[in-house]
Amino acid sequence: MRLRPLQLLIFAIMAMPAQAALAETAVVLVTGSDSQINEMSTLDIRKAYMGISVTINRLSVRAVRHNDDDRLNKIFLQSVVAMSRRSYERRLLSLFLKFGTPRPVEVSNHDELTELLEKDPRSITYMWKSDADADPGVRIIRVLWQET
Amino acid sequence: MTHRRKFQVFRRRRPVTMLASFLLATFVASASAQAEPQHDAFVFLSLEGYQMHSSLNPELDGPGHRATADFLYSYNSDNFRFLAEYILSNTEGEMERLKAAWRIDDSTLLWLGRFHAITNYWTTEFHHGQYMQTSISRPGLEEWEDESGPMPSHITGLSLESDFALGEKSGISLGLAAGLAPRFEGNQLVAFDILDPGSGHELSLSGRLVYRPDVLTMKQIGLAVAHNEIDVVSDSNPNLVDLNSIRQSTFGIFYNWQWQDWRLSMNWVYFDVEMQYRDRDVDDEFLLGYVQGEYKASDDWTIFGRVEIGDNEDLSEYLQLLPNVIAHRHMLGLRWDFADSHALTLELADTSTQGAAFEHANFKEIRIQWSAVFP
Repeated sequence: MRLRPLQLLIFAIMAMPAQAALAETAVVLVTGSDSQINEMSTLDIRKAYMGISVTINRLSVRAVRHNDDDRLNKIFLQSVVAMSRRSYERRLLSLFLKFGTPRPVEVSNHDELTELLEKDPRSITYMWKSDADADPGVRIIRVLWQET
Repeated sequence: MTHRRKFQVFRRRRPVTMLASFLLATFVASASAQAEPQHDAFVFLSLEGYQMHSSLNPELDGPGHRATADFLYSYNSDNFRFLAEYILSNTEGEMERLKAAWRIDDSTLLWLGRFHAITNYWTTEFHHGQYMQTSISRPGLEEWEDESGPMPSHITGLSLESDFALGEKSGISLGLAAGLAPRFEGNQLVAFDILDPGSGHELSLSGRLVYRPDVLTMKQIGLAVAHNEIDVVSDSNPNLVDLNSIRQSTFGIFYNWQWQDWRLSMNWVYFDVEMQYRDRDVDDEFLLGYVQGEYKASDDWTIFGRVEIGDNEDLSEYLQLLPNVIAHRHMLGLRWDFADSHALTLELADTSTQGAAFEHANFKEIRIQWSAVFP
């Protein structure tokens, strides 16, 4: 019985890295903290990133992509649009060629991304959960992918 | 368009001023629409070499090449869209599309300007983006006006595009267009030149309805209908001396489907052409179509083939005026995609043009092409 608090402490210390690892290896869909976008279905997220018009709470959703994190982009292609990079790029290019449809905005660093989300409440993007938790300017809409 | 004609066009001041005003107006409209516009620009490049062989017709015998750059730019704000496409090659330089749209709602755009005919399936899928189409050649049915295409491919006027959701994934797209049709000059259709507004062209009306079972894919089946009043420049060709005008009505059905690694696309167009001569009218009816099949053997390799045929086209008086129109083609090809956005393509074909009389002119062709898109 005397050892129980110590055991708990040991378990808690042992669990901390595991929790941190879990947080770091999840990818979430986020928007600006003031945005009216509260939820999005998997299909709507996919449509938004494929250049198809999606309206939520009367807001026309604007998809934003990263171009500075290869692993994150790989997870995005596998879990969100479910296409190879070439097929996805070709699909966006086709819509641009046919209708002049704008491609998802691309940003290259986290500060630029945060600024964009704060400025435009229609914007959504994906990021590591650990980055989202540490940024008060963004709000998590849902988990897109989690390492099992 | 020949180089001489191109330079003549660009020497005219008034149309250029009009074009500048048009562009200025579109940008002013966009500036008032919202603060965060988006610009996108791409260039499609291609280099093609070909060898044609005909033992009977020296005009269809010999080598050739084509180098093409297709520049595209789009500007988007909340309520406004602008799109420009300019093509430059070793044979022509032309503003292909120049149009601005007002966004009526999230799924409806009203365009004003020069655009590609909405009834031409291949044209509206690939435009001049050579890299985007699997094959090197276009079907003869959907060739450009200056390549002996039998249908108008450039219209200047208004068009409306609207999408309606049917279910979670399926939808219908509606397109309507009204504008100026090409005119018939020499031995081809000549599109209205946006830089030469006084050139005199008649009315073009068209519409199309497309069903998409899954908007996340390219699957679609559609109907297209068009009526074009085609003015004739009678003194441009001895065969046109007594011909005053051409009324062309078309009804088409097109289809694009994918099953895993297989893709099938086709377009069939029924033509009802009324040729109004000084002393008589000639009614002409015929069908032109193609079927293209593709098999993606791996991520990088695609095998494809196309058959282009017609019905009653052999006897068409209208097609006699377009001796270089491709009437029949049996083609096989292989495409290799490499790096991020480059492709090498090889095509072999047995082809027939309509010919000047009621007998087709046959030739064999081999084509090789590099195509890419930047950035």
